[in-house]
Amino acid sequence: MSIIKKLALVIVSLSLVAVSSVSSAKPFSPKKPIELIIPAGQGGGADEIARLVQGVIEKNDYASKPVIPINKKGGSGGEAMTYVKKKAGDEHTLIITLNNVLTTPVNQPELGIDFFNDFTPLARLITDTFLVWIATEGKNTQGVETFDDFIALAKGNGLVMGGTGSMSEDELLLGMMRGQFGFDAKYVPYDGGGAVAKGLVGGESDFTLNNPSEQMGFYQSGDSKALVMMTPERNPAFPEVPSSYELGYPDLEYYMMRAFMAPAGVDAEVEKYYTGLLHTVYHDDEFQTFNIDDGKLMSWLEGFGLKDFLAIEYAKHGEIIKNFD
Amino acid sequence: MDVFILLLEGIFVSFEPLNLGLLVFGCLIGLFVGAMPGLGSVNGVAILIPITFIIPPTAAIIFLAAVYYGAMYGGAISSVMLGIPGASTAVATVFDGRPLAVKGEAMTALTAAAVGSFVGGTVSVILFTLFAPPLAEVALRFNAPETFALMVMAFATFVGLGGDDVPKTIFSILIGLALSTIGLDLITGKPRLIFFNIPGFLHGINFLVLAIGIYGIGEMLWTLEETKGKVQMSKLSVNMKEVGRAFGALKKTIMAMNIGSFLGFFVGILPAAGATPASLMSYGITKQLSKNSKEFGSGVPAGVVAPECANNSASTGSMLPMLTLGIPGSPTTAILLGGMILWGLTPGPLLFTQEPEFVWGLIGSLYIANFFTLVLNIALIPAFLMVLRIPFAILAPVIFVLCVTGGYAPTQSLHDVWLMLLFGFAGYILRKLDYPVAPAVLSIVLGPLAEKALRQSLILSDGSMGIFFDMAEKPIAAIIMYIAIVLLIMPAFGPLYRKFFKKAQTT
Repeated sequence: MSIIKKLALVIVSLSLVAVSSVSSAKPFSPKKPIELIIPAGQGGGADEIARLVQGVIEKNDYASKPVIPINKKGGSGGEAMTYVKKKAGDEHTLIITLNNVLTTPVNQPELGIDFFNDFTPLARLITDTFLVWIATEGKNTQGVETFDDFIALAKGNGLVMGGTGSMSEDELLLGMMRGQFGFDAKYVPYDGGGAVAKGLVGGESDFTLNNPSEQMGFYQSGDSKALVMMTPERNPAFPEVPSSYELGYPDLEYYMMRAFMAPAGVDAEVEKYYTGLLHTVYHDDEFQTFNIDDGKLMSWLEGFGLKDFLAIEYAKHGEIIKNFD
Repeated sequence: MDVFILLLEGIFVSFEPLNLGLLVFGCLIGLFVGAMPGLGSVNGVAILIPITFIIPPTAAIIFLAAVYYGAMYGGAISSVMLGIPGASTAVATVFDGRPLAVKGEAMTALTAAAVGSFVGGTVSVILFTLFAPPLAEVALRFNAPETFALMVMAFATFVGLGGDDVPKTIFSILIGLALSTIGLDLITGKPRLIFFNIPGFLHGINFLVLAIGIYGIGEMLWTLEETKGKVQMSKLSVNMKEVGRAFGALKKTIMAMNIGSFLGFFVGILPAAGATPASLMSYGITKQLSKNSKEFGSGVPAGVVAPECANNSASTGSMLPMLTLGIPGSPTTAILLGGMILWGLTPGPLLFTQEPEFVWGLIGSLYIANFFTLVLNIALIPAFLMVLRIPFAILAPVIFVLCVTGGYAPTQSLHDVWLMLLFGFAGYILRKLDYPVAPAVLSIVLGPLAEKALRQSLILSDGSMGIFFDMAEKPIAAIIMYIAIVLLIMPAFGPLYRKFFKKAQTT
């Protein structure tokens, strides 16, 4: 190879570098399909929202590349979080959160997940809350009309509570209520919120802490009723159910967050792109209508607000877990 | 009768041009998805959900139900033609479907699968039409102790699966059970048996990985060794005589059809079970009750009809708790349920009265989808048979590629591909040593269901096994449990009984 040829090669490669550095300053847009990791099984609440987001993006062409939801349900979210941690710097991976992203790093230290440094939080779209449910014809809860009736009954008798198991939100909540109200219950785990709701109406459990959409069908048919909603205000989807603040139990407040995160180490441009994409989805009419009808709270949060929120929730969950054992 | 008017209206709904077009299209996609190893109805429906946002809910459910349905038929095709289960629901179809194809009776196997599917699908949709509300009540009362009793019954039928060598069968069952405990402790949520801290074990051993390994890779190795690559399939001509023979063989499968249809439907309506356990249980029970149970596994049409009948029946059945209780009866209905919520419907006891067009349109479409897939499958048999004319030297690498993609597809992890290869070799060695492998495959499916139900029951009863035998409080659980014990003892006493009987005859 002659010197001139070598020189030419150097010039060409230098100019290529220059071009690529110019292009990286341009706004980011995805170059291949975007993987959306769901740290839960198919058919659950997180899965539902992930597929709704995917559907809204696809229907309206909000993104130039398709979104592919992938369920990694193993280890209470451990499998999904390990996967995303390994994808540090990857610009085409997102993860939707359940609250298990707050508990699993604490419960399973052997996974080596650092919640604050292994992920890039993008935005919170929705919060979901919980209610205390009993069956209308529950054989052990006859005569219970209010939440206070329920506490009085639960204190004396070992009631059976159906839940989604595996240190999930409702088991943590039971731990929280045990501390606040001094009653305990026998906790029976099921596969997912739907099965929990069915176990209640089918007479196997005495009460549950389902979120609104899981009990909606039985609530509308009158087979189950809610005693309290764990929020400061009533929810328009359940107008007659009192909030915990009204009943004088402001400590009984709990949320499940539906937020999205990218792996650690992505560029600011990438972060900006996905946050913008989620913002577009958030303001989509269909997305809004669906979630409001389903009793969910639309609660957009990004940037420092989101980081603060996550820090508070992480600490709160750590506290609950500590009191649990 | 009210029901018939509603049903007629439902059938009219599914004859609307958009709905009918989607039904046909859905069946075709389902056939393909079902026939591709690793892609099953779960993946098919999950992938297609976003498309359904642009069409009305009734059209959407008809489309997705057709995919679900078509996949039940399609799974049999690769099970019979390639010996790789096309979907988890078609694993039991391999047991007898593959030997039939090897014997040169692929035509019979495919006809049996198509007709069996049709019968199962039709019986179940009739049951669905007539008895939906009372059956929903049964599903509601079927809780943890009842589920566990049913699982014990299923295991009891498996003991008879491996032939007369009961210890080897039990060994195989235990291997399957041990593998099924890997992953996540179902009750505490803690990881367990995560070998060498490999994250891939966190999601447990996917049942399809084991099935594809054993039946796809293992079978291929076995065939290669047996034939040195010179596999010659005989008698592949399709003529009226063959067709007549294929249909003639179905006469002996009436019992399998009955068991498959009713058992499949019943297992389908129970929460969280679905078509895979239904097809496996149906195979086990049909074999147990059959007069020539020894021939099962060597290629009998009843062994194809039983699981195929049951998986279609169960897939219809599993829509019942989905619609009436809002709980999924199978993994696929779990996704359909998500879809229903996204379309703005609230599954639950009121759905039948609030959304009659949706519910009855779906039920009506099932009748038509059934008929359509039957015709399609019978018509396509000559095309499927072409696969067998491909020389094995070409077919073997194709099977290998399909196995690898099939192992990769469900979880998108390479870890599972390595595991599948490992199981392939293990299956080959077990086969050389004359161990039955089917019981291992069965127990890895039912293991987690049984474990969960057992532990839930014991939490409820504070650790007392009495909860399974309490005639006064839980009669359903107790009755099933007693039947299970009888079934369990039968194979042990069978040989003794025969011995005694023969002696009595000779003297």
